[in-house]
Amino acid sequence: MRDNFKMQIRNTLPQLRNYNISPRLLFAAGLVALFVAIPLVYIFFRAFTGGAEVWMRLLQTRIWKLLANTLLLTAAVTGGATLVGVSMSFLTERTDLPFRRIFRWMLAMPLAIPPYIGGIVHLTLLRPRGGAIPQLLAEWFGQPVPTPSPLGLGGAVFILTLFMFPYVYLLSGAAFRSLNASLEEASRTFGRSNWHTLWEVTLPALRPGITAGALLVALDVLAEYGTVALLRYETFSSAIFVQLSGRYDRSAAAVLSGVLIVIAIIILWGELRLQGQARFTQVDSQWRPAPPHHLKRWKLPASLLVAFVVFSSLLVPLIVLSMWSVQALLDPDTLASIMRSGSQTFGNYFWNSLWSSALAAVIAVLLSLPVALLSVRYPNKLTQAISRFCQVGYAIPGVVIALSLVLLVNRYLPFLYATPLVVVMAYVLRHMPQAVRASESALNQLSPSMEEASRTLGRTSLQTIVQVILPLIVPGLLAGAGLVFLTSLKELPATLLLRPAGFDTLAVRVWIWASEGFYIQAAPAALLLVIASAAPLYFLLRREQIFR
Amino acid sequence: MKSYSKKLFGLLFALALLVSACGGGKAVSEEPVPATEPAAPVVTEASAISGDLVIYSGRSESLIQPVLDAFQAKYPNVKILLKSGSNSELANALIEEQSNPQADVFVTTEIFTIQSLYQRGIFQSYRPVGAELLPAEFVGPEDSWVGITRRARVIMYNTELVSAEEAPTSIFDLTDPKWKGQIAAAGSTNGGMQAQIAAMRQLLGDVDTQEWLVALMANDVTFFGGHTDVRKAVGAGEFKIGLVNHYYYYLQLAEGSPVGIVIPDQGEGQIGLITNATSAAIVKGAKNVPSAQAFLDFLLSAEGQKLFAGLNYEYPLVAGVPLKDGVQPLDDFRLADVNVAEAALDLDGTLDLMEAVGLP
Repeated sequence: MRDNFKMQIRNTLPQLRNYNISPRLLFAAGLVALFVAIPLVYIFFRAFTGGAEVWMRLLQTRIWKLLANTLLLTAAVTGGATLVGVSMSFLTERTDLPFRRIFRWMLAMPLAIPPYIGGIVHLTLLRPRGGAIPQLLAEWFGQPVPTPSPLGLGGAVFILTLFMFPYVYLLSGAAFRSLNASLEEASRTFGRSNWHTLWEVTLPALRPGITAGALLVALDVLAEYGTVALLRYETFSSAIFVQLSGRYDRSAAAVLSGVLIVIAIIILWGELRLQGQARFTQVDSQWRPAPPHHLKRWKLPASLLVAFVVFSSLLVPLIVLSMWSVQALLDPDTLASIMRSGSQTFGNYFWNSLWSSALAAVIAVLLSLPVALLSVRYPNKLTQAISRFCQVGYAIPGVVIALSLVLLVNRYLPFLYATPLVVVMAYVLRHMPQAVRASESALNQLSPSMEEASRTLGRTSLQTIVQVILPLIVPGLLAGAGLVFLTSLKELPATLLLRPAGFDTLAVRVWIWASEGFYIQAAPAALLLVIASAAPLYFLLRREQIFR
Repeated sequence: MKSYSKKLFGLLFALALLVSACGGGKAVSEEPVPATEPAAPVVTEASAISGDLVIYSGRSESLIQPVLDAFQAKYPNVKILLKSGSNSELANALIEEQSNPQADVFVTTEIFTIQSLYQRGIFQSYRPVGAELLPAEFVGPEDSWVGITRRARVIMYNTELVSAEEAPTSIFDLTDPKWKGQIAAAGSTNGGMQAQIAAMRQLLGDVDTQEWLVALMANDVTFFGGHTDVRKAVGAGEFKIGLVNHYYYYLQLAEGSPVGIVIPDQGEGQIGLITNATSAAIVKGAKNVPSAQAFLDFLLSAEGQKLFAGLNYEYPLVAGVPLKDGVQPLDDFRLADVNVAEAALDLDGTLDLMEAVGLP
């Protein structure tokens, strides 16, 4: 079975056979890989030359607790997001759940809400005693009712699961849709019950989609700063931030960063092993969609479950942020305070967010092109390695990129230091993998025969790229750019550490107000950030069949 | 021919991106450093004060913005670029930037950080107009920094839940089990709390300070990220008692909450009231020295002092500036005697201590 798939893939791989690798292309891709590698190598260098004394101090005091905290949170959120994501995609894709078309949209939209913003909203609602819900309960029952605290591990797992499950939901949803009906039918023919079929046939077939989603969640949890800082749960990311901003200790920050990157690389490697060689998503000519399951008496509970997830991950944040924003806009003092910072105004923050994220998106996609062209058209060990290498940014959290850029730029490119370009550079480094993956998948869908024709007609490789390939893969590149734009808009820790004076973004404004407890003041920027993120997300989802 | 034009287009496009990106940034790095004598006060026409003024501020933005607005009204040609953050975050940025200075002015909410930065040679000397009206201990060595307003560490309580007689009179009463789970304070990332611990280490030594922190944690004190959460929680009756800077009591009172204030540790043998001061300094290598000097002058002017202190119910440090109505004067209270230079020398020790006890 597996061998068949492999054969199929090998035969359809759109590589160019008759032309040698263009040295210019290789050079360009190599430069890109070098650019991506510099911060990584530098952090490792700093971490392992940080001095035995720093290592000893951290090993004795911090690292073990941080390691336990970080791994526990990562495992719990990944598990939670997988459970929620797969069950939501199953219910909306494979059952006769009422309103599933609208639910499909609503379950994907929490991706537009940065977890720290969701965390701010849920924290004000759920905080023990002071939160809106505990106070309401106390009023109803006439006495305080103990409620679960959103602080600490439990709260962090709850919040991060709520706002990260859409990764798994979207990827497993795509896998559910491409599932061939014959697979489940065969299982049932052999006498398996529906339940057994789900566990033994359907879910294993979905494994690539699910692990890909879980990987994104795990790496995002490792990189998350805002939420864990807000809910006061210490992980490597937040500890690095404290070392950087709380005390002047670059060595300790570098050591912690080195350990964090190692964890992330282990997770990346684990995903590769889990994925194995198989690609189950290949579609053969016999394909037909599997029929939906009938929920029958489970219809009501299932609908309530989906409604609860939609309610707490999308509607609650939107409603609360809207209410606060209205409150902020109606109060002249509050309005005045949020409209200005120094000589900068609200429009400046919005514009800063937009142009820095957009520039990062354009640069990331441009840089991803040579890498993707090489790895798709001339697949060999070297080009695959370059491509993988350019995706390591996934594994480097924003704080770590900020740390390496602060050290490197201030030392070697001081004229660039404290310019918005450094912020853009951090976005590019961090979100490059999304651009590389999008460009690769766009190129994969393009038959190499066009290029071969162009080359046969005497065009050089560069002319072929510019005149033939680029025009055809523009939609795919736009998708990559959209992803980079979306994630850059939400980026917080690197922006906080690298922003020059007067260059605050929406995310930074939200954080500055909220970290002091001024949630109403933070709301308009937060709401605008969510709306600005929802636009590219909408565009990206529309590309998917079911979201049309 | 066609391919060349495409190449050219690509090149131009990349250039345009680069130029627009640079244009979007601040132009400070390209401006020549004004050739002024840093140490001498420059008497300039208001209209001659111009250009970008980069201010790093650890003070809450809602409290500094009105001051900036007033300064801006006076000097309309200045463009103020503000970077808000925690005291330590900005202090670390200043250290990182020492060889490549970006900021003109640093404003902070306590004096230990600014003193320790002075010891690292981060600031240039400037004696603002009005500095002679400051108490001597609030002018940094070599005129490196000046204090602006004084603030005190007090206990606030909810008067509906705690009577005035019952309220704790010492910060050491906060470890009393009868308040278990009823107290809110700010955590280890808060500048005010850090400064209090730094002061206590000097007054009592590490052992007693550590004991106090451990006892607070054992008493289930809830530590928030900032004091705004603390004052609101006490005002709402969520907690009976809060350990805050004095103005949080006034801010909460102004919102109509039933809150009271205790000036703690006034008894015989007690440590006295721990106070601190907001402060400001001009960074060595600042690119806009005239504006920076004008800003410090403004902070110590009667108008600046009234605004800066009044916004936040603080105590103006410049002699003769009246207190905001309703603020209790500190003249009758005994203040804790803390040596700033010494406390500043060992800021890392304070962070180590908080880390050792695991203060949230």
